[in-house]
Amino acid sequence: MTLVEFPAIAVTTAACWGFGSLLQIPAKKSGLAATASWMLMIGGTALLAWFLASYWIALERPPLRTLGETRLWYATLIPVVGYLVEYRWKIGWLKYYCMGLATLFLGINVMNPDVFQKALMPALQSVWFVPHVVVYLVAYVLLAASSVAGGHNLWLKFRSRSSKVSESMSHYLALLGFVLLTFGLVFGALWAKEAWGHYWTWDPKETWAFISWLAYLAYLHLVARKTDVTVLQWYLGLAFVVLLVCWFGVNYLPSAQNSVHTYSG
Amino acid sequence: MQSSKPPQMPSSPPEGFGAAALFTLAAIIAGFAIELLTSGSGITIPRWPANGLFLAAFASAIAAFGFGFREHPVVSWLGGIPVGLSLIIGLALLSLFGGVLPQDPLPAGSLVATLRLNGIFSGWPFAFVILLFLFNLGLSLLWKIVPFRLSNLQFMLFHGGFWIALACGLAGTSDLRRLVIPLYEGKESDVAYEMPTEHPVRIPFSIYLKEFEIDEYVPQFALYDPATDQVVAEKAGAVPEVRKGARAVWPGIATATVTDFRPDALPDKAGNPLPSKGMKGVPFAKVRVEEPGRAPVEQWINGGGPDIKPQYIPVGNYFIVIAPGAPKAFRSSVMIRSESGGHRPGVLEVNKPVDVLGWKLYQMGYDEKAGRWSTMSLVEAVNDPWLPAVYLGFFMIMAGNLLFFWKGIKKMEAA
Repeated sequence: MTLVEFPAIAVTTAACWGFGSLLQIPAKKSGLAATASWMLMIGGTALLAWFLASYWIALERPPLRTLGETRLWYATLIPVVGYLVEYRWKIGWLKYYCMGLATLFLGINVMNPDVFQKALMPALQSVWFVPHVVVYLVAYVLLAASSVAGGHNLWLKFRSRSSKVSESMSHYLALLGFVLLTFGLVFGALWAKEAWGHYWTWDPKETWAFISWLAYLAYLHLVARKTDVTVLQWYLGLAFVVLLVCWFGVNYLPSAQNSVHTYSG
Repeated sequence: MQSSKPPQMPSSPPEGFGAAALFTLAAIIAGFAIELLTSGSGITIPRWPANGLFLAAFASAIAAFGFGFREHPVVSWLGGIPVGLSLIIGLALLSLFGGVLPQDPLPAGSLVATLRLNGIFSGWPFAFVILLFLFNLGLSLLWKIVPFRLSNLQFMLFHGGFWIALACGLAGTSDLRRLVIPLYEGKESDVAYEMPTEHPVRIPFSIYLKEFEIDEYVPQFALYDPATDQVVAEKAGAVPEVRKGARAVWPGIATATVTDFRPDALPDKAGNPLPSKGMKGVPFAKVRVEEPGRAPVEQWINGGGPDIKPQYIPVGNYFIVIAPGAPKAFRSSVMIRSESGGHRPGVLEVNKPVDVLGWKLYQMGYDEKAGRWSTMSLVEAVNDPWLPAVYLGFFMIMAGNLLFFWKGIKKMEAA
């Protein structure tokens, strides 16, 4: 499986998510529609996961090197968070945001196709490569979901329909995201020592990873200070901007010219 | 990371946060004032034992304040969340300068250089905020350790680990030694160079470079456009690899099929490939090219090397060329001899450093102009005596993080 097949896979996946979402309307009254809806939504994600696995095999290396490849993982993983949130908290709306975000990322990949490139630079050939990047991606997925949930909670509050369960959910997503962000940061430092001789060099990507980590560390301390819950939802909604800079934006900043992380562009 | 409890409603603004924010701002302004007065000279961390003594004195001061004046409102405030939170935000804001602006030397006189925004992490504002943050973190840690409660273990591990990693990592910066050792095939060296001064120093062992090798990925076809002096970018499809039977299609331009392939050969006088017989050759491909409206052409092409002229096939306004594969791995086979006369062989490769007498040796680079013909290998020797302490901090953070995850899951289940 190569990128030649990707547009068809992306369109099929988005169609599965779209039709699955539409079927949620009759699903409230019809068990059959509910089953079909979930089969389509999960099927779309499964198709993308299958493509990712096939792509990994064809590339002969983990597809975690380029921004396009990380977007592919992101699009695969974030709907899963939406499904799990519905399973755990019976909150249905998050999955639509998650599938919407995933479709957006698939669209970006279709519009800006990667080159099918098997080469993996020597510094990336490490046992730390997969755990470091995957842990970070799962953290990003959880934090993106918490950010979206924060935004939706503000909307609910605006409509005087605040939900404690929903606010609690956005908090726990951020909390789990922070835990994985911390692991990703430390794994990265341990890997950097083995690859580049030092665990921390204030490379722009490292600096932005540190800033992102501090942003969520501050969030947890705001929670500990019993900060107003509306402020916390605003904070979660906006904090993800910092992660986006760390993920994509840093490549466009003046500081990026000397980054050792430019391979990920 | 003081609590994993979900937010409660309703609530009040963070108490004491305004004063804490002013306190942090004052520290940052004081730091920038020093930079302004010293033309952005920054801070030089003393080397061992002075840095160790300073850290011990600083830790003792935290303990003295933490235990001796625990009930004092100022000390209580200094160890509280509002101060910690404002210092975290202060750290993040200062790091923003480092995340946006290149951290490179600049000519003196510019505002960026005078305020040391181009070296923010070795500047006074960052040092002040870090010191205050460590003070705050240290106080809060002490108050969780004494009296000891097992329920505070997660807090102790995470915050204690962070304190140790941050304090030892920064204090140890001055004792970190990173030396570059250029090695040449068939020669031995015990001379390394400090960077960026290139000051030579003698190391307590010598390294003999037996062989330097580079493995490359499979070479690839490329369509070279002489008008732009660039390779025509591939879109979505695979970069066509050069191997027997491989086919590359450039729609509307040409189709190339590899009918024969020699991965490592040298050319004879007619340009045909011969076995390289242990020499470093180049990949040759016999390529059949079909262009619309023209008879097919079949000939040998190669990517060229130091003494080998590259061969290519013209198609329209382009040339079909062989681009060498990217480096897959590079390694130095060495013999390491200590001053006492002991010796041992070793292989240095990226991500596989070798330990020698307290130093770690890293495969750093090679002569990139010579590529796989390089007979020079750049090795970096790193000595970081503070590393065990920093790693202790890292592992404590990870242990605390695991407990935080576990407690979070438990609370989530109960919620």
